[in-house]
Amino acid sequence: MLTLLSGGRIVDPANRRDAIGDLWLEDGLVIAPPDRAPDERHDVSGCIVMAGGIDIHSHIAGTNVNTARLLLPELRGSAGFAGAPESEAIGRLYAAMGFTLVVEPAISPAVALQAHRELAAIPFIDKAILSVLGNEDFGLQLIRAGEHTALADYVARTLAASGGLGLKTINPGGAAAFARNVRRFSLDDEVPEYGLTSRAIMRSLQQAAIRLGVPHPLHLHANNLGLPGNVESALATIEAAEGQPLHLAHLQFYAYGEEGPRKFSSAAARLAEAVNAAPHITADVGQVMFGQTVTVSSDVLRQFGARNQASPAKSALLETDGNGGGIVPYRYRKENFFNAVQWAAGLELFLLIADPWRVFFTTDHPNGAPFTAYPDLLALLMDRDLRAAWIAELPPEAMAMSTLPALTREYAWGEIAIMTRAAPARLLGLADRGHLGPGARADVAVYRPEADRAAMFRNAALVFKDGLPILREGRVLRPHRGRALRLSPGFDAAIEPRLARYYDATFGLAHTAFDVPAEAIDRTRDPFEAVPCRN
Amino acid sequence: MSALCLTLREAPAQRLDLSMLLPERLAALSPAEIERLPVQTTRRAMRLGDVFRLRPGDAKEVVIEGGSARFDCVGACMSGGVLRVIGAVGQRAGCEMLGGHLLIEGDAGPFAAAGLRDGVVEIAGDAGDYLGGTLPGERTGMAGGSVRVRGSAGARAGDRLRRGLIIVEGDAGADPGSRMLAGTLMICGSASGLAGYLMRRGTLVIGQFAKPGETFQPCGLDPVFPRLLRRLIAPYSADAAAMLDAPLSRFMGDLAGLGKGEMLIAQS
Repeated sequence: MLTLLSGGRIVDPANRRDAIGDLWLEDGLVIAPPDRAPDERHDVSGCIVMAGGIDIHSHIAGTNVNTARLLLPELRGSAGFAGAPESEAIGRLYAAMGFTLVVEPAISPAVALQAHRELAAIPFIDKAILSVLGNEDFGLQLIRAGEHTALADYVARTLAASGGLGLKTINPGGAAAFARNVRRFSLDDEVPEYGLTSRAIMRSLQQAAIRLGVPHPLHLHANNLGLPGNVESALATIEAAEGQPLHLAHLQFYAYGEEGPRKFSSAAARLAEAVNAAPHITADVGQVMFGQTVTVSSDVLRQFGARNQASPAKSALLETDGNGGGIVPYRYRKENFFNAVQWAAGLELFLLIADPWRVFFTTDHPNGAPFTAYPDLLALLMDRDLRAAWIAELPPEAMAMSTLPALTREYAWGEIAIMTRAAPARLLGLADRGHLGPGARADVAVYRPEADRAAMFRNAALVFKDGLPILREGRVLRPHRGRALRLSPGFDAAIEPRLARYYDATFGLAHTAFDVPAEAIDRTRDPFEAVPCRN
Repeated sequence: MSALCLTLREAPAQRLDLSMLLPERLAALSPAEIERLPVQTTRRAMRLGDVFRLRPGDAKEVVIEGGSARFDCVGACMSGGVLRVIGAVGQRAGCEMLGGHLLIEGDAGPFAAAGLRDGVVEIAGDAGDYLGGTLPGERTGMAGGSVRVRGSAGARAGDRLRRGLIIVEGDAGADPGSRMLAGTLMICGSASGLAGYLMRRGTLVIGQFAKPGETFQPCGLDPVFPRLLRRLIAPYSADAAAMLDAPLSRFMGDLAGLGKGEMLIAQS
């Protein structure tokens, strides 16, 4: 079917296009203007037309999310809490905002099957997972022995078997150290029994990803998340990358200094400066927004430390080989000094990191805020007067700990399109997404500008997925099922018998016990879409 | 026309999800479509026809001949009709049922009738833990309908019971009526542990129970209530009715909770 979107302002920075024009879609792809009449015409004059949004870091599936649902029955479904919505709501609400691809960034390979089945239950959007390594015994043994080739094979096999789109490491070594009674763990601390520093683990995994040609650089959840003064950790981590590609997750949670009377301040300006000076570093922000949420993280060491701040006062912690996890419900409050500083630090990062190709739009859903807060956040980035109005409501002593009140930058439409579309597609290695050139996947979001930008982003005027209109102003036009994106990196099969021996001796299980076969997800069609590696 | 009948071929090699065997759902399907329904819970594919021999009939009544402790979710979310199992079932039988009649002529596993909303569940054998209880991640347990167990029940029968009637004609395991919000739980045999632990409201009747916990206070009994209750439940269970004829002692509790619940004990 040939579809024409006529008269909209097409914001497509990847193709250097920002002009009023027509967009033609056919068979799920964007095409060059043909000389035929369209079968379906949508008049989108006065509207902004962008590619479908991509969220690179949002916890929408997996055991931790499910544990959050089990832990908080009294919050589930209540107004003001969208920390762990039902799968159907996740897909619909994301699609209503014009997002068409969401990456769940923390899936332990041992629970990948469950996570993929949950992703398959999320309608409308495409999904992907990042596979988590860096705390499990087998990997640490390889790193300790300096077997970098075997480590790369192991990483490749894990990515292939768990259906991952990239490699994530969460407080590398921290969970393994936590299991050995360590309660503070920084970049150069050693994991007991392994004698490995967090730095060594991070570097080994980073190089494994590069060696395999995984498009997305190692996705790092660094040490010391959320602690006052942890900006030093973040700066050291940027240094530790030694000029090689590295993605820092939810950077806002590492942008804290120890200035001021309460020994807590925003060090986002320093951190942004370091990111600006390091072209190999990309980062997503993990913005905090105010309201009830639940923090879900596989950083069990950090969640153990945060358990006494739980609101409502209960938490769930899980210790396993590998990362384990922790669920700690939390309410960010405007009147809370610390929460206000966190909010300001996140916005500082957005506004002070100059290159929109290297800073990504996330709230680390649901850790900083549920993804349903995105519209408000986008509005804040595009409007300095709105920011000033928010700042006026927050504790002045908190705002004094940050440079935010002095920042006047406003995101333009083109920068929004880079940050939420073009840059994530490039970061994940997806050539057919994030832009609207001929051959691009016909995932399109149409926004009708209005004074209340948050309302505009919350319900896009029209959303197309694979060339078909699926939602209009938040109302479903037709059901749609997306797929999960996965890599299939090649590796030396010699790792298979070795893993088999290890799994049999350690767990008494076949090493294939946790693999994700496509037919276990969906028997009626292929639930996956393959993404090529760089080599 | 006779009932739609499914006869077990042989014991299944994996746990099965039989939640689709609902009278209202099968009525809309052809025999071939019924045989193709997926029932596996592991990676190994299994269709209904692999496990059962189908004899077509009127799907208002569905009969499963032969049971297994691996039959999960039998009658889950059922809203009408009759479903009869001649044999045992696994976990979550009749959970979140909205109506209809579920008969199990054998034992049931844990979470039988958990989150029941309406309808009737009868279990001829024993029930597992959390009979009529709370499913993981839910705030309340059974909220309507009635459950009758001829045998015994496991631990925490009637956990967070919200509304409705549960009768256990045998014994109950540890902590029956824990966190009860309202409703009626009757145990004709004995109970153990902390019966009525943190119950807020509702009525818990127990045949034999040595001593309620310290947070239950003996109170006087209005003799009218047992007679009214007897009349109400007599059609469901003669054993339970006979229990109410015996002299009863009454306790209020759990005073560690709201304390508006009552526990009636037939003989201490």
